Amino acid sequence: MEVKDIFSYDWSYLLPEFIILGFATFLSLLDLFAGKRLGKQVIGWLSFLATVIAAIFVIINMSALDKPYSYMIDMIRIDDYGNAFKLIFLAGTAFAILISLSYLKSGEIQHRGEYYYLLLTGLLGAMVMASSADLITLFVGLELLSLSSYVLVGLRKKSRLSNESAFKYVVSGSIATAVLLFGMSYVYGLTGTTHIYEISFRLAEAGMAGYQFLVYTAFAFLAVGLAFKISAAPNHMWAPDVYQGAPTPVTAFLAVVSKAAGFALIFRVMMISFFNVSNGTGSGRFFFEEGSLYLGIMAAASMIIGNTMALRQTNVKRMMAYSGIAQAGYLLVPFVPPTSLFFSEVIFYLFGYLLVSFGAFAVIMVVSREQETEDLKGFAGLYHRSPVMAVAMSIFLLSLAGIPITVGFFGKFYLFMGTLVVENYWLAAIMIITSVISYYYYFGIIRQMYMRPGTTEAPMVVPKGIWTFILIMAIATVFFGAFPGLVTDYIQIHFNPSFDFGNMLSPSSQ
Amino acid sequence: MTVSISSYLMVALILFCVGLYGALTKRNAVVVLLSIELMLNAVNINLVAFSKFGLYPSVTGQIFTLFTMTVAAAEVAVGLAILIALYRNKETVNVDEMDQMKR
Repeated sequence: MEVKDIFSYDWSYLLPEFIILGFATFLSLLDLFAGKRLGKQVIGWLSFLATVIAAIFVIINMSALDKPYSYMIDMIRIDDYGNAFKLIFLAGTAFAILISLSYLKSGEIQHRGEYYYLLLTGLLGAMVMASSADLITLFVGLELLSLSSYVLVGLRKKSRLSNESAFKYVVSGSIATAVLLFGMSYVYGLTGTTHIYEISFRLAEAGMAGYQFLVYTAFAFLAVGLAFKISAAPNHMWAPDVYQGAPTPVTAFLAVVSKAAGFALIFRVMMISFFNVSNGTGSGRFFFEEGSLYLGIMAAASMIIGNTMALRQTNVKRMMAYSGIAQAGYLLVPFVPPTSLFFSEVIFYLFGYLLVSFGAFAVIMVVSREQETEDLKGFAGLYHRSPVMAVAMSIFLLSLAGIPITVGFFGKFYLFMGTLVVENYWLAAIMIITSVISYYYYFGIIRQMYMRPGTTEAPMVVPKGIWTFILIMAIATVFFGAFPGLVTDYIQIHFNPSFDFGNMLSPSSQ
Repeated sequence: MTVSISSYLMVALILFCVGLYGALTKRNAVVVLLSIELMLNAVNINLVAFSKFGLYPSVTGQIFTLFTMTVAAAEVAVGLAILIALYRNKETVNVDEMDQMKR
């Protein structure tokens, strides 16, 4: 590989990242010098603008590039795999900002400026995680996202719950980082490089040369370390506490953007690094046999733990956290082992999860703020007080549970069919059983909303902006539930025309 | 005289386990953060050892070490800042008293 001058690259493909970085920097300076004189929501709207512009440039990149473009030996790499995830991150952050505009009005968080540009830096970290093929850059992106979210969780400085959950998040996050890095250090030791396409070949050679044990150890360390970000078992314990203590829009950000970024990272790193490693029995490949089994057990454990622990929660946000653990389990299912359809299954599922989570968290935010409790009982009698909110929330919950006519049904259906194709019947069975268990707690909220009398019958006042947002999310959930083909076709045509996981597999020539 | 790679790896592994043990069992939050530093430093020893004695010796490992050190410093800074915010509200640094949320 010849070394290229940094000026010889076409830097315009990195515009989405530059825009987010530029806005984050500019907004922090603006807040510093003119924070007092600005209107209260200016910084929020400007950061929303940043995500929109960046999304436009991601779409331009998609049409401008038909093969991956790589900077500095894949330190950053623009491919369809990354672009698809980036669109999800950008939409997720944009939604989080929209909810926050209403959330911050209560004045619980005094650092409004910091709040928005930390969301942007977190987004930047997520985007780097999705578009790099080098362990160092991936690690820096991961930490940029983590550090931003640690602070965001603890931003309600006066609230003990918020402080406590932020500290728990930092400690468990740092331990997971250390475990991940320890795995990476073994991978580096066996391969002498951090470029994952080279790792792919050299790890296979190391496995053949008698270092199999170290290869497997590295795999286990990486899997455990990466499980933290997606809140899958065995590293899920932080999620309920952090989700409960964090400001609600940040909870939604963690549930969607941070989790999707974790998946972007885990799929790319695990799959490519261990792709060629043999399992020592002739032509068998470690990743598709033992490695997959390991990840399958992680998926099964997450589904079982998430769905059963959610049953006994009375706090809505804790319940959503356990539900999120179960969703992480579902999302690992197509990865066991990956088929050629896995990329579009995952992106479709994440798309549905994005709509539904933000809708549900917006309703939770409105209700818990109005009732001044995050308890399930806060939802009692919601139907009589605000029918639209109740119906919208029911749609979101049905979608999370995977009932037909919602986008969540098709997401789960595709995952289920995918796992039947590879004859993983045990995983499919666990998926079905735990889904049925999950109906109980999702319907628990619905029961509260329709059948229990609330403390008051007075119509609930919902701010207009958030009302519109929730309505749009609910309509989108039903619409894409009726026409899932619109999304799957779009993914297939624009991201994955040759079934190579959005160009993820092909190392770039530069 | 050269020290073999396995000695380095063993030191790193022991350091990692000591750090993990400390992070999981210590009561004082500052000690917990210190233990996490131990784990991250175990990684650094590994990386530097591999960059000289690994299967493919290269300088990348040392570069990686610089990144991990920088990020670890940032992580501890954030951790301490959050700990101070917690201390202001609660006047304790004992992790077993941070149990407000339902178990």
